[in-house]
Amino acid sequence: MAIDKVTLQILANHCRAAAENMAYTLYRTAHSTFVKETEDFTIQLLDVAGHTVGVPMDLGATWYPGLHYGKAIAMIPEYRPGDIAFTNDPYSGFLSTHVPDLHLWKPIFHEGRLVCFAAGHIHNTDMGGAVPASLSRALTEVHQEGIRFKPSLLYRDGVLNRELLDVMMLNVRKPEQNMGDLKAFVGALNTGERKVREMIARFGADTLMQGMSDLMDYAEHQAREILRSIPDGEYFFADFADEDGPEGHPARLAVTLRLRGDEAVLDFTGSDPQLTSSLNVPTGGNPRHTLMLVGVYYVLFSLNPNLVLNYGLTRPFTCILPEGTVVNPSSPAAVGMRSLTCARLRSLVFGVFGLAMPERMPAAPAGSSSIVNVMTHDDRTGEAMIAAINPVVGGGGGMPHGDGTDGSGADAAYLKNTPIEITEAEVPIRFRHYGLAPGSGGAGRWRGGLATRMDFEALTPNTRVTARNRDRCRFRAWGILGGGPGAPSRMVLNPGRPGERVLNNVDTFALDPGDVVSITSPGGGGRGDPFAREPERVLRDVVRGYLTPEAAEADYGVVVRGEGVDEAATRARRAARLGGAPPPHFRFGPEREAFERVWDRDAYDALTGILAGLPIHWRHFVKRRLMEAVTAEGGGGAAVRAAWEALLGTLPPLRALRRSRKLAAE
Amino acid sequence: MAGRRARSILRRIGNGVAGMGFRVGVDIGGTFIDFCLWNEETAELHSLKVLTTPATPGAELLRGLEILEERHGAAPARITGFVHGTTVGINTVIQRKGARLAMLATAGFEDVVELARLRMPEAYSLFSRRGAPLVSRDCVFGVGGRLLSDGSEEAPLDEAGVRRAARAARAKGVEGIVVSLLNAYRNPAHEERAAEILRREAPELFVFRSTEVWPVIREYERTTTALINGYVHPKVRDYLDNLIGGLRSRGVPAEPLITKSNGGVMSAALGRRNCVSMVLSGTASGVIGAAFLARQARQDRVITLDIGGTSADVALIVDGRPQFGLGEKIGDLPLYIPSVSVTSIGDGGGSIAWVDEFGVLKVGPESAGSDPGPACYGRGGTRPTITDAFTVCGFLGQHELAYGALRPDPVLAEAAIATVAGPMGLSTEAAAEAIIRVAISGMFVEVNKLVARSGVDPRDFALLPFGGAGPMLGCFLARELGVRRVMVPARPGVVSALGGLVADIRNDFIRTLFATAEPAQGPAIMREAAALERQGLAWLREEQRFDGPAAASWFADMRYRGQSFEIEVALPEVALRAGDTAALAEAFHAAHEGIYDFADRDSPVQIVNLRLVMAGTPPRPALRPPPRGEGAVVAERVLRVFFDEAWHEVPLYRRAALGAGQRFAGPCVVAQDDTTACIPPGFDAEVDAMGNIILEASLPEAAG
Repeated sequence: MAIDKVTLQILANHCRAAAENMAYTLYRTAHSTFVKETEDFTIQLLDVAGHTVGVPMDLGATWYPGLHYGKAIAMIPEYRPGDIAFTNDPYSGFLSTHVPDLHLWKPIFHEGRLVCFAAGHIHNTDMGGAVPASLSRALTEVHQEGIRFKPSLLYRDGVLNRELLDVMMLNVRKPEQNMGDLKAFVGALNTGERKVREMIARFGADTLMQGMSDLMDYAEHQAREILRSIPDGEYFFADFADEDGPEGHPARLAVTLRLRGDEAVLDFTGSDPQLTSSLNVPTGGNPRHTLMLVGVYYVLFSLNPNLVLNYGLTRPFTCILPEGTVVNPSSPAAVGMRSLTCARLRSLVFGVFGLAMPERMPAAPAGSSSIVNVMTHDDRTGEAMIAAINPVVGGGGGMPHGDGTDGSGADAAYLKNTPIEITEAEVPIRFRHYGLAPGSGGAGRWRGGLATRMDFEALTPNTRVTARNRDRCRFRAWGILGGGPGAPSRMVLNPGRPGERVLNNVDTFALDPGDVVSITSPGGGGRGDPFAREPERVLRDVVRGYLTPEAAEADYGVVVRGEGVDEAATRARRAARLGGAPPPHFRFGPEREAFERVWDRDAYDALTGILAGLPIHWRHFVKRRLMEAVTAEGGGGAAVRAAWEALLGTLPPLRALRRSRKLAAE
Repeated sequence: MAGRRARSILRRIGNGVAGMGFRVGVDIGGTFIDFCLWNEETAELHSLKVLTTPATPGAELLRGLEILEERHGAAPARITGFVHGTTVGINTVIQRKGARLAMLATAGFEDVVELARLRMPEAYSLFSRRGAPLVSRDCVFGVGGRLLSDGSEEAPLDEAGVRRAARAARAKGVEGIVVSLLNAYRNPAHEERAAEILRREAPELFVFRSTEVWPVIREYERTTTALINGYVHPKVRDYLDNLIGGLRSRGVPAEPLITKSNGGVMSAALGRRNCVSMVLSGTASGVIGAAFLARQARQDRVITLDIGGTSADVALIVDGRPQFGLGEKIGDLPLYIPSVSVTSIGDGGGSIAWVDEFGVLKVGPESAGSDPGPACYGRGGTRPTITDAFTVCGFLGQHELAYGALRPDPVLAEAAIATVAGPMGLSTEAAAEAIIRVAISGMFVEVNKLVARSGVDPRDFALLPFGGAGPMLGCFLARELGVRRVMVPARPGVVSALGGLVADIRNDFIRTLFATAEPAQGPAIMREAAALERQGLAWLREEQRFDGPAAASWFADMRYRGQSFEIEVALPEVALRAGDTAALAEAFHAAHEGIYDFADRDSPVQIVNLRLVMAGTPPRPALRPPPRGEGAVVAERVLRVFFDEAWHEVPLYRRAALGAGQRFAGPCVVAQDDTTACIPPGFDAEVDAMGNIILEASLPEAAG
């Protein structure tokens, strides 16, 4: 029987208190920059089946309130008091989603009965493998991405499995950091257990377990209420990552949202094939995999700030994730840089929900946060050093009732920067600029948030820079309802000097003394007709240096003279705009429009059909060949099929394969 | 002349040799202004609450002084000490009614406050945003010139650019300019030169440098601190001038002191420019007052709980001392000067209860505030609040509150609670109790975060509730936390005002060293420490004119090289004076071991900041213990009170009638002028020698 609604709220508070307590304990005692500065960790309280029932709100990443540990939990045959289990293998239970993420869970027993689990994850700076920090989009199989552990017991009956730990520490580059974070994590799990014991003492184990179940029903109810408030229908959207690997072709993420009453199906058919880069998102085809629903959590929470965050939110949703695609790769596809793809998956979900309820959703946030690291040598000691420089983050999308936030916000709101003064005191680089990028927000009734620009100069030879998650250099953050897209991201070596080189999505390069690299994030998309923006707001952006008078006139129809608006000229300018057809829902910018004149939906449907019929290991290769072959506008599906027939002619093994598959099918 | 006179008076006050008189502590809250009067002759403490008069700030203060004279004979001429905590600074920030500011920044880094530290307050919402900066971006002027992290100059200050900025700022009609340049923490030369030029070019504008306000490494934190200082400066200056003038015109000889965010006090005259240090003084002085009372009652580890009509705050006291931190919140802005660590756990008695679409009862975050306030106050509020819930349950409304100024109306409270009782299918009293339980569990979440952040266990602490609503909710929160001892002070309503009377004259000083703790750095560290000490003593002796006992405490923000964060380490003074870097490093290793269970004694240790707290201790009130009580306590009458899902008859005790040593037990209600204590069953009470009610949980822990 469900517990009463007053006790439910009290229990919800206690569950949250337990989760916050664990998170603060971890944060206070962990060592690594990942935990301290980027807060790349999460904490969960799980029911006996491994569903997340409670998460902290103050600390940590935002990706896992709907995480389900079930499969991974089941891979260990028996639990006893004092056990702590862990895994970091993306393909064992599809819990950890890339190798640096170490998930731990601790069963909590009361009078011999399993009551729940305390759990969470930390991103380790390095788990070994081919490259420092274990992540590069150039890696092609998971074995290159570090040492992996299937679900195993780190502690049995409270005794540490020292041998297993030694194997891990032998294989990683910064064992003392991993060790420090792991100890902090174990401390946090023990804190969680203590808090759960206090809850058992207060509520009783039965009420606690029933309450956990009720809390999931509560969240499910809230999610269904929101879904009911959105018109039924079928909505299709696609978003693109610039490249499917180094110097690659665009990677498409596509979704069809089917809304019926309080249920939603997210069909990702039409998304790119499994890639031979590390941009794949390992889900195992789980229809409620948390990585596919992160955008959904944002949508639901934005619409109801009193949302209870737990697994119950995911129940009304079903994801269709075709095997052998970028959203359900088969082992041993590399997955390390799935965070780049995840950013596109979030904007994909924001976009498709925006089609369903345009009046309630913002335009696209910038959608690409470059994580910048510098590896060089300390002149004072001669020692090699590695330092995290600021993430370069863009603004939010134009909101229903306000501008996108500048330089941060929306789904990048949890990132922090490092003070310039701290970095300059420690790392042999010198900043030349760190600020907002004028003119980078998409125009709109509510404009997009501005991008950030960061320039720094190297002082030592062979300063190796990595900039992870580079994207949106080509395809911009889209505007909606007449709003324009944000400016694309850009990364340039020695701008305005001899030897200037556009790097854009190149994610590793080296600098010598005097070299300057300038990184500009994407800007957020605009929302609504820019000609409907109040001239005072446009003026304010001009006065603040965020918009040129020329752009004010061209994009907004506002004529600025000195520090004032020329009202007559503005009225005339705005009236002179050619009326006519209402704007399309999305404005993508010229780059995507040009690309889609070649690769329109019909062409992609043809491609998807062809690839689905191929063995997985052929798919990315065939996609690349077809992309190279089909470059003329307007050919649609026919051009793709023609190119496919031509390609088959050059590839006898594939022809033979197709014949045998056809025979088998008949 | 006036200055000299004031100084000579202050000297007398600071040393407590002004002869016997009265000392007055005053604290302003949202609804009331609180007075604490210490009669030095009789060692008696009196208290008073007066409703605030938002329309004429300051008037209620003078009115209160009149009442103190009428009731207790505290004639203005006999007021030898006057300590004031004011909310003018924090209100200026929260209401965004401060000065129109310009700012000078290093060219290329003008967006330092727009970018802040990137992170937004709400991670899950697409609509999250930070509070608006205190300076409009079009009034931020970048100037050329660049200092490096070692303090050397890469490019000289562009003086023509500073002059252009001065002209532009005047054209914008600003009231003042804040100068904050990159790496100035290491070398203030560019900031000093720029300020000099600005003062010459725009003499009507006030100028603050980031390095005079708080010269810490980290450009955003230093800049935002200087901006807050400039933003509140005109309002604070005018308020303090009025205060100083008002007291003087009434013949009060004492030079007023004001309370600070760091829990100390300083002369009001200094506060006119050093405004940022008083912004969070209200919450800080409450903790100082509570710590004083806890020390007197020999309670070492205390969680203070300060609940008023519009706020609920907790703080930790360990070994009798409050905790200090950086990054305390002023509304939606962070404050990065050392402040008494106080955590908001809700919005106080005015928090509004409501029922969501799933039928779940919620309390807050909306609050009825002080206007209209709870429905039962009869000032136009209709929505149910925590205070209404206590009224419906019978804890309030059967006797008067706040020196007769208020009497909660149970009929109005019932009507308000009925709006949530109906949808939940509960009786009004059951709904009221549910509101109390849900509100308590919400506070429980926040207190839990505080104790987790601090790495302590609440069960090792006593709870010390104060403020108008603290003793009403304290025992319920103690039960939720597993805290087994609650200490209700004799005058819970005026603990903040008392805090001012017992505070040290105190200031913080900082130097960013970024030095490795190795023998070669010893002499440099000694030099920096000596310079800081000179600065601290000059402040105490010359600026504050204090020549009583002075105490210097040394701290450093330290880390292993390569770590991205520091921990605060208390430094052994002997080692610091001797430049003994090995001992300084060892102090860090030990502190690190305490938090992280390990120390890496082979790793180089960095001293990022060296900090000095300079404090002078004025004489403190020796409180006169209350008379001992004889025999069993006598109930004034019996109240009908609803708790544990039923009506009970419980005794109402008058606080004034309770004597030291008397014992009683919950359930009961203890009423006094400034608050009402609600004591549920399961607590045994005893009045201690100082008049505090000490409540001990009588039930075994598991059932608590």
